Amino acid sequence: MRGLWPVGYAPVTSARDHGLMSSSEKKPAASRVVAPTRLRRRVATAFVLAVGISSGALAIGSYLLVRQARLDAVDSQAVSQTLISMRFAATHSNVDELLVKQRWQPTPVPTVVLAPGVPPRTSAHVTPEIIRNNGLDPAAVLAAADKPAAIGARQIPSDLRRLVGQGELARERIVTASGRHYDVVGAPLPLTPEQLYFFYNEQQVWDDLDYLRNVLVVVWLGLLVLAGLGGTLFARRTLAPVADASDAARRLAEGLLDTRLPVESRDEFGAWAAAFNDMASALEAKITALAEAQERERRFTANVAHDLRSPLTALIGEARQLTKQAHALPPDVRRLVEMLVADVGRLCRLAEDLLEISRLDAGLEPAELEPVDAAALVEGVLRSTGCFETVELDAQRFMLTTDPRRLERIVANLVENAVTHGGGDVRVRVAREGDQAIIQVADDGPGIPAAALPHIFDRQFKADTSRGSAGSGLGLAIARDNALLLGGEITVASPPNDGAVFALRLPVAEPLPDGDRPAIDDLDNQTGGNPA
Amino acid sequence: MDASLLFVEDDRSIRDVTRLELEQAGFRVTACGDGREALELFAREHFDLVLLDVMLPGVDGLEVCREIRRGHRTPIIMLTARSSTVDVVVGLELGADDYVCKPFQPAELVARVRAVLRRGQAIDATAVISVGDLLIDEAAFRATRGGEELDLTATEFRLLCVLAHRPGHVFTREMLLDLVWGYEFLGDSRLVNVAVQRLRAKVEEDPARPALITTVRGVGYRLNKP
Repeated sequence: MRGLWPVGYAPVTSARDHGLMSSSEKKPAASRVVAPTRLRRRVATAFVLAVGISSGALAIGSYLLVRQARLDAVDSQAVSQTLISMRFAATHSNVDELLVKQRWQPTPVPTVVLAPGVPPRTSAHVTPEIIRNNGLDPAAVLAAADKPAAIGARQIPSDLRRLVGQGELARERIVTASGRHYDVVGAPLPLTPEQLYFFYNEQQVWDDLDYLRNVLVVVWLGLLVLAGLGGTLFARRTLAPVADASDAARRLAEGLLDTRLPVESRDEFGAWAAAFNDMASALEAKITALAEAQERERRFTANVAHDLRSPLTALIGEARQLTKQAHALPPDVRRLVEMLVADVGRLCRLAEDLLEISRLDAGLEPAELEPVDAAALVEGVLRSTGCFETVELDAQRFMLTTDPRRLERIVANLVENAVTHGGGDVRVRVAREGDQAIIQVADDGPGIPAAALPHIFDRQFKADTSRGSAGSGLGLAIARDNALLLGGEITVASPPNDGAVFALRLPVAEPLPDGDRPAIDDLDNQTGGNPA
Repeated sequence: MDASLLFVEDDRSIRDVTRLELEQAGFRVTACGDGREALELFAREHFDLVLLDVMLPGVDGLEVCREIRRGHRTPIIMLTARSSTVDVVVGLELGADDYVCKPFQPAELVARVRAVLRRGQAIDATAVISVGDLLIDEAAFRATRGGEELDLTATEFRLLCVLAHRPGHVFTREMLLDLVWGYEFLGDSRLVNVAVQRLRAKVEEDPARPALITTVRGVGYRLNKP
């Protein structure tokens, strides 16, 4: 197990300072990338929508109510004013006289237009479409009006004219071409064919309503902005525990087992944080226990290894001494000595392989990378194993960055396997293909049965069980484990009756998978693993 | 060859059988079982080479190595467990000349001892090499830089000689293993790395920025002409 759990890490305190950005930069390769602001934006949008719709409805409703009330007030005033004016008019036969006598000031100031009756009245003083205003000078009225003839018989809607023609008092709102609002009330003058239309200027009311509308719109927009800000803030506050939690989960995944969430509230988030902490505690306890057990086992293995090593060393020396002096022994004893010596050799190989595999399992030794001349290394292995003369070598010269001691081990094991189990001509090929180094070991032996191929790298597997004495049965497993440690792989192919081909593929310059030191620039820093 | 060895090993069986092997190979062997005794013996007698087990009761092998290196350049071979590469490197950095992993083949040990002892002999005993202010007298086993005496172990001296014999020439680590350590193949390149570091610490004016012995990246080392 590589990478012990670091202790003493101060967790939680500033989850947000660590930031979602920085932690997403070192995202684990497998996990899906989630935009962490999406939910926050959704909550904020919902908040804005809720505030916008409700306040908008309220504003529109109140505007309509106010408008209705104001217009109703204008209407009733206009109608009652008209009735009063009509009563005046009824006591005067002459409209002119009426207008002259009309000294009161009604509010709102009515503009009186005398529209021609049917048939048209031929009066010297009153011509159609002349505007009279409360007896004031017509010229002044003309000047006061927004445009000459802006108000006149032409502006009287035909519907209104029809209703008044039927003898009713009627009213209608108009907007003149210049955009001014009037409430027009018309009534037939009793006993005459004439109709009187009163133009009540209600511009003020409409201006007020416009003002009210503008104010409402501005306030509504302001509310929207406020809701946006508030919503974002609210969403952030609400969702902060989620961000903290995912941060904490990520740290847990990275191995900081003492990571905990602050339990700040008594709501669902608080309960969640408490549950998360319980989980983390359980996890920490379990992993700590596991790590301790593993550490105990590792220590035990190391102790056993050391304790094995001393008697083995002595055994080897003694066996050698025995061999040297075997000639002095009686033949039957000598035979026993030879068997003993051979068995000691076997025991040593087995023990060495077992120790190596336990070291590989424990992951105690990181690969120590340095530039390696592949061809020279393979040649060296062949020479040191004494099969340089018998093995055919086809080597391309190139450098690769790897751990030479492990590579030697792999090549030695593959060659030994080919020589002892394969037989026939053994050929070794060293080549570079792109950014991969390939070392192939092929033999002309009986090959490997198809059923055995998938298990060839298993520990203690021997395809030919009758021939059990040659090796420990761990050689290929050790080679495979070492290859994995160097970031490479070993494959095997065995066409029927055509020997077996083992192919080791290694990255030429690629740094190793996580945990190991990357390729080192300077030769001098390669020892001991402590680049100063 | 009648070299005298000090063999420090706490396991009695290993000690006895290995001693036998070494004596058969023609060495005079003094064996002992703990570090303190080894240091006393070393102080009392002259030895041509020390074989030192790392795991010793009392004063351990690394400590013994450090003590010896305080005043002597006697070659040291460490006996170490294969699994503890840290021990190997620490031993080399403390000034050991070589290491042998347990369990070892007696023949291998004998070969290593011979190779290390050979290192103390001059390549060309008549030559006095001078490169810039560096002066090497092989016969006298002395090297000076700028008039100042360099205190080198046998391995370091041999390494310096090999490099200085051909200034400007780049030596690969395989070549150095062959020429300095006498290992034709499958030597541990860490031997070279550590030895170069130790040599630089003694020879260079600023060991952190070596000017005399430089690294040729991906190839090896070179001693620069001034």
